[in-house]
Amino acid sequence: MIQFQEQDGRLICSFTGPLDTAVCQRMEAELMAKVDAARLPVVFDLNGVDFIGSMFLRLCLMVIKNVQANNFRLMNMKPPVKKVFKIAGFDQCLDPGSAGPAT
Amino acid sequence: MPLETPAEVDALLDNATRAAAVFSEFDQQQVDRIVHAVYEAGFNNRIRLAKLAHEETGIGRWQDKVLKNVVATQFVYEDMKGLKTVGVIAEDSDKGIVEIAQPMGPILAIIPVTNPTSTTMFKILIALKTRNPIIICPPKKAIRCCVEAARRCYEAALQEDAPEDCIQWLTEVSREQTHALMSHQKLALILATGGSSLVQSAYSSGTPTLGVGAGNVPVFIEASADVPFAVGQILLSKLFDNGTICASEQAVVVEQRVAPQVIAQFQKGGACFLDDAEIRKLEAVAYNSEKGLMNPDIVGKSAIEIAEKAGLTVPPETRLLIAPLKGVGREYPLSSEILAPILAFYVVEDFDRAVNRCIDLNFYGGIGHTVSIFSNDEQKIKEFALLMNAGRIVVNTPSSQGAVGGIFNKINPSFTLGCGTGGKNITTENVTARSLLNIQRIARRRENQRLTHFDQNLYLDESLDARAIETAFNRNY
Repeated sequence: MIQFQEQDGRLICSFTGPLDTAVCQRMEAELMAKVDAARLPVVFDLNGVDFIGSMFLRLCLMVIKNVQANNFRLMNMKPPVKKVFKIAGFDQCLDPGSAGPAT
Repeated sequence: MPLETPAEVDALLDNATRAAAVFSEFDQQQVDRIVHAVYEAGFNNRIRLAKLAHEETGIGRWQDKVLKNVVATQFVYEDMKGLKTVGVIAEDSDKGIVEIAQPMGPILAIIPVTNPTSTTMFKILIALKTRNPIIICPPKKAIRCCVEAARRCYEAALQEDAPEDCIQWLTEVSREQTHALMSHQKLALILATGGSSLVQSAYSSGTPTLGVGAGNVPVFIEASADVPFAVGQILLSKLFDNGTICASEQAVVVEQRVAPQVIAQFQKGGACFLDDAEIRKLEAVAYNSEKGLMNPDIVGKSAIEIAEKAGLTVPPETRLLIAPLKGVGREYPLSSEILAPILAFYVVEDFDRAVNRCIDLNFYGGIGHTVSIFSNDEQKIKEFALLMNAGRIVVNTPSSQGAVGGIFNKINPSFTLGCGTGGKNITTENVTARSLLNIQRIARRRENQRLTHFDQNLYLDESLDARAIETAFNRNY
């Protein structure tokens, strides 16, 4: 569901599976605790994600509030997920070097 | 939510934008499950919401508002339940065209005070069916009932895992904030149903708008009509919710030879014909001559209440006030649209004069909206229709219910009736879910074989005219 790794001075959060409301509710406390504790720029690696719900967008906003938008990046998105972030207006958080999921 | 600052307007649109993003992932089944749940919630609250709307606005009759809520939920749901609104919706392999339905984005729904809960639920259903988040902007006099309708729909939608904030609503309404919302960059579309100034503001905002025009519906009782039937249907329509539907009849035009019968039937049905002095008294309360508009205080009131306001003495069984008039225009205030149980009445010599009078009425504030005819002469029905400028020409039908659709005819049920360019609208259609889609087209290569075989240098030859080119273009090889 979610794995954490500190790498090159960033907290990498790798997600898998559909990120619907129930899943996000379960991971919220753990995610925010890690972000709080790490005090590092945060990267969401969405390589294993094929659906995101409203609650996940809310988690993204919570992390942005915590670390500021320029310290938050989204990467390795599959096209349907990338489109969601584009529509939702998260352009500035999309990693310009990441056109799609790592293969 | 109340909107007091620009930041709050931004927040509302940010929420809607995120809902749009999540909604874009949903498939047809998920969408249809949500729409079904919302339809049921709206339908199951039809009576409560109707009573609430009536209590809050003091307009119309709650029993009729129940039927409006039924049309807005059950009929609208049935009309669109099989409609494809997600992904590939049409394929034509011969033409190589595939159509893909995409949502538009956040929609602002302007709601009229005359049909508050029904229009709210109607717009929510067609927005959700097309995966568009919606923001309900209620009229000041109907905030409570609109919010309650929207809240019930939202709760039902969330039960089916709809995106958060797919339905939002304003709990306070100010002109400034409405304008800020209408012109917000993140807003995709305005569904504007309401007074002409609000619709104009929506058009001026720069955001694409599906608006409506004002009505001024003439009903022509042609000589071949079944008079008792026609009068009964007009009463059914004009008295429905005390005349608050913009497609309700505003003026009856009758050929002289059937006029006595028509008058007798109206009187039998509870209509009170007024004399000149009474008409002047009625004009004073029904029409604001400074603004050139109906007086909102009498909208949706009963005939007896209006007669009392005007100081008229009418029989206690009076249900409709009829003003026989000699002309159409500013000097005849009751010839304009008045959403109350008041009808203008014209007796004319023959068919041609009747049609001319209907044209006058149609063009006096009601261009593009709706006209009505009762007739059993197909030729005359056609003639009449060709001469009117109206999105809907309803035949042998009560025009209120006929124009809204789904009850007396197969017009798509809708609470937003397009009036075409005459009404300053982009469509003459009854606005439905189909109107809220961006349709993408995949166009596969299908060469124009005639052009392939045609020597295109011929286009450069000035001596060849259209006929010569056409002959060469269509030549068989």
